[in-house]
Amino acid sequence: MKLSLNWLKQYIDLDGISTEDVVENLTTAGLEVDDVIDQKKLYNNFIVGYVKERENHPNADKLSLCKVEVGSEIFPIVCGAPNVKAGQKIVLAKVGAVIPNSDFTIAKAKIRGEESMGMICSERELGISDNHDGIMVLDSEIKSGTDFSDVFGFNDVIIDIDITPNRADAFSHIGSTRDLAAIFGRKLKLPEISLTETEEEINAIASIEIENDIDCPRYVAKVVKNVTIKESPKWLTDRLTSIGLRPINNVVDVTNFILYEIGQPLHAFDLDKLAGNKIIVRSAGKDEKFITLDSKERKLLETDLLICDAEKPVAIAGVMGGENSEVTTSTKNILIESAYFRPSSIRKTSKKLGLQTDASIRFERGCDVNITLYAAQRAAQLISELGNGEIVKGEIDIYPNKISLKEVSLRISRIKKILGFEITIPKIKEIFSGLEFEIVSETNEILTYLIPTFRHDIEREIDLIEEIARIYGYDNIPEIAKIGVSVERRVDNSSFNDKVRETLAGLGFYEIITNSLLNVELASKYGNPIGVLNPQSFEMSHIRPSLFPGMLATISRNIKVNEKNLKLYEIGHVITKFNDVISDFSDFEETEHLLFAITGNANEDEWYSKKRETDFYDLKGLASSFFKSVTDKSRIKVKYNQSLGEGMFEYSICNLIGKNTFAEGGKVKAEVLKEFGISQNVFAFDINLTELKKIEVELNRFTELLKFPKIKKDCAFVLDSNIDYNAVVKIIESSNSNLLKNVKLFDIFESESLGSNKKSLAFELTYFNENKTLTEEEVDKEFWKAIESVKTKLNAELRG
Amino acid sequence: MLDKIELAEKNYKVEFDAVNNLESIEELRIKYLGRKGIFTELFEEFKQLPKDEKPKYGQVLNKAKSFAQKEYDELKSKLEKSESEKKENIDLTLDGRNVELGSKHVLTQTLDEIKQIFKGLGFSIYEGPELESDHNNFEMLNFPADHPARDMQDTFFINDNFLLRTHTSPVQVRLMENNKPPIRALMPGKVYRNEAISAKSYCLFHQVEGLYVDEDVTFAELKGTLVVFLKQFFGEDVKYRFRPSFFPFTEPSAEVDVWWQPKGKEGRWLEILGCGMVDPNVLENVKIDNEKYVGYAFGMGVERIAMLKYGIGDIRVFFDNDKRFLKQF
Repeated sequence: MKLSLNWLKQYIDLDGISTEDVVENLTTAGLEVDDVIDQKKLYNNFIVGYVKERENHPNADKLSLCKVEVGSEIFPIVCGAPNVKAGQKIVLAKVGAVIPNSDFTIAKAKIRGEESMGMICSERELGISDNHDGIMVLDSEIKSGTDFSDVFGFNDVIIDIDITPNRADAFSHIGSTRDLAAIFGRKLKLPEISLTETEEEINAIASIEIENDIDCPRYVAKVVKNVTIKESPKWLTDRLTSIGLRPINNVVDVTNFILYEIGQPLHAFDLDKLAGNKIIVRSAGKDEKFITLDSKERKLLETDLLICDAEKPVAIAGVMGGENSEVTTSTKNILIESAYFRPSSIRKTSKKLGLQTDASIRFERGCDVNITLYAAQRAAQLISELGNGEIVKGEIDIYPNKISLKEVSLRISRIKKILGFEITIPKIKEIFSGLEFEIVSETNEILTYLIPTFRHDIEREIDLIEEIARIYGYDNIPEIAKIGVSVERRVDNSSFNDKVRETLAGLGFYEIITNSLLNVELASKYGNPIGVLNPQSFEMSHIRPSLFPGMLATISRNIKVNEKNLKLYEIGHVITKFNDVISDFSDFEETEHLLFAITGNANEDEWYSKKRETDFYDLKGLASSFFKSVTDKSRIKVKYNQSLGEGMFEYSICNLIGKNTFAEGGKVKAEVLKEFGISQNVFAFDINLTELKKIEVELNRFTELLKFPKIKKDCAFVLDSNIDYNAVVKIIESSNSNLLKNVKLFDIFESESLGSNKKSLAFELTYFNENKTLTEEEVDKEFWKAIESVKTKLNAELRG
Repeated sequence: MLDKIELAEKNYKVEFDAVNNLESIEELRIKYLGRKGIFTELFEEFKQLPKDEKPKYGQVLNKAKSFAQKEYDELKSKLEKSESEKKENIDLTLDGRNVELGSKHVLTQTLDEIKQIFKGLGFSIYEGPELESDHNNFEMLNFPADHPARDMQDTFFINDNFLLRTHTSPVQVRLMENNKPPIRALMPGKVYRNEAISAKSYCLFHQVEGLYVDEDVTFAELKGTLVVFLKQFFGEDVKYRFRPSFFPFTEPSAEVDVWWQPKGKEGRWLEILGCGMVDPNVLENVKIDNEKYVGYAFGMGVERIAMLKYGIGDIRVFFDNDKRFLKQF
């Protein structure tokens, strides 16, 4: 909300307090200042000048050469306006002036060979109207040398503040000033009411009836007759325009002025348009419709509150009036509504209609039920003053269930417990009296206050403590750095992921973070996604059931910028639904996944090696190192899937804990990649981290270092080419005793010379005994057992 | 005998002069000084001489052999030295064999730095789900239905009861429901806001919240702790201010601004975190005695802090994952 400093000064004496202090203290009171516009600074270097001489520019038909006198100085100015004449008083933008609403700074210039020391301004250049037909000519009485800002009274400072939802009370000039009054210890001055009323009683010409007194606890009406609808005077239009409002007519302007003055929204009805001269406040009927002031037809619900006359609705209570009772130039008699509506009712209606107005935003946060009469009287006074109207005697004030003031007690000891420092009772009392809280009772231990009705946010002791901290100033509260030893058990949910990330960085992977919201078509290909009720766009309507789409989109985007060799990973939550209706946490599953992917070349051509494309074995090796680093790899089982019909992969390996598959990695199908426009191979591993974390890694106890020698034996077999490496290893292992400690494949050889569909696999077998030196004979016995076993079981031949 | 010695000495000198590498000097050693070498043989011959002739030749032979030995030793060490200098023909300017290291995302790095500071202050670390109940995300945190405070956080709803969490505060709820004070925890995670994607906002961001509930926690201590954080993160001379704000789940509430002074530009206050004393209603909701226990809580956005720290102007680059960006951190 914008505050005008000049306006604000009507309610508080700010003598001796600088603008900077006002701004600073609004912020420290919790009314954060977003922006400050000082009009005087805005018109710095704009000055009234006198055009002493004018002649034609020697080198340009449309330009004039002027000599502008400012005090004792004379400035040569080149001017392009057709209406410039000697003897005029004009506004001169001197060198250094910044044209409002632009970044343009006036500089000394040579225009067609003639020197110019400034610019004579049009109204548009001054930012005061759209007129740019010629320069602005001022009254000849105005003295040259006067600041332009003084000529037009541009001496205000506009302060834009943020109002948090709890501070409905600050949503006006008087409301904000109340905080300043408390902080500076000065008095808040409310405008006084003095009404001259007619003999005629209001009850004789209008009546009010509240059907729904839960949503409308109070309704006050005043009537002003024989009003002349016209433009508002300058003081009023200045007030409104200074905070960015557009003046309309004297009646509407008064209601807007009071809204921004004390925060009470008012509505002015044309009394003659109210059937039966009557107001009825009731709930809307089923499917009832109404056309609001903005000419839109609104469909209403039974929970919406309507202001009606004897026949028809005339306004949606607290939100917006209707066209049918609007004040127009022909209006004569005005009924002023000053009501208090239940905040949650207004909020519901405003939300549902998607219609937030200056009135609704105040009502839904809570207005002051006790200011309604004052506001109606102030409006009546101003309307009668500005429109020569007659105020009808008395008011209608329907207030069936009086809202009583809340009493809240404050224990002095509690202040220290919450805030951590002592504050004296006199200081506390000073703070609350500044905020207009009335003390009800006091002891040395407890102060009890009556809470004013404009403070909807104060209900409990803690709220009073907050007020003390706020007005005392957060910056004045000590900073206690009590760095204690924590005795409670320390937990770190993220330590496993920390290790995962460190391992992957060491293995050459870059971490990515992608959007978890996807379009439904894409998301559905990777699982059973949950939709968002109110998405930003079609493209982000569902929660990802898999990390794949984000990864593949990232790979695709990188390839487009020529980053083709990629090792990337993402850790993130994925969500899959079990039921279409989500009514419980068991209807869906949220798990944490890790997806890592490699693509492009494992290495480029280098002076020491040849270029090589990434392949499945890179992926498998990386996965193996990864598992070894982050968990107890021996607990993980492996399953091989040579060719897959469904799913992401052309072929893959799965990792299992017990019978539960928690990871799968392999070559991503070309058709999947095609959807992302990727034409190079991608190998990826998807790991359910939630499951992986469940493996309990036991403390790795130290193993004695081997004291006896290892014996290594080599052999090579010629086998059918469709026999897996793993099958051979299994046979070798099962044929040998535990003296065999390792089987390593060190060569694969395929050639016609071996026979068709044959391959040769060469192995190195390592033997040792932890307790003694093995003899050649012991090892040979085992070694030949292995060879014989492979030969017979796999129909293999020993090579060489 | 004397002739033989002189001849051997003379030949040795000739051959010695011709030696120019380790191989030929080894040959020379074997020929003259080895087990069957010329000087060794001369000594054998010398042993056979009659006793009275020995003094005549002994001195000469000894002198000749030790001269040869000395010459040999000197030259050998010289050759070895030059050999070792010569052998590795290395181009020190050539690039080494490349080992590409990866990295953590800059948001993770920023979060790690924040975590590190608070871990040092005794905080545990807890995580929680992103798809939350309205109950945990709002109700328990003192956001009543139909309250304007709900407008502060634009929400992605799944239905009336479920939503994408708008802050990590529901983890606080879960933690307080399942643990007894003292509770001192940091809660990082992804949160979602229903905002249009632009340079300044994204539909999700990373938040870190902290919570400390105990018998003697105060607002002054909250300030002290956060000042320690600010100084450790932004440097000892960081300029900051605490100002009142509003969050439904804390009372009193504050926002903390740091003074940001970019080079050659006008400085300004930038909001970097929100905090406050846990509202008694929240403690009551999680069944913690709010007379006995007091708590503080704070929260900050990782993106915002990373943008400040690394001079990043557009939040979207974090989620584009361009390798040229990833490589910079």
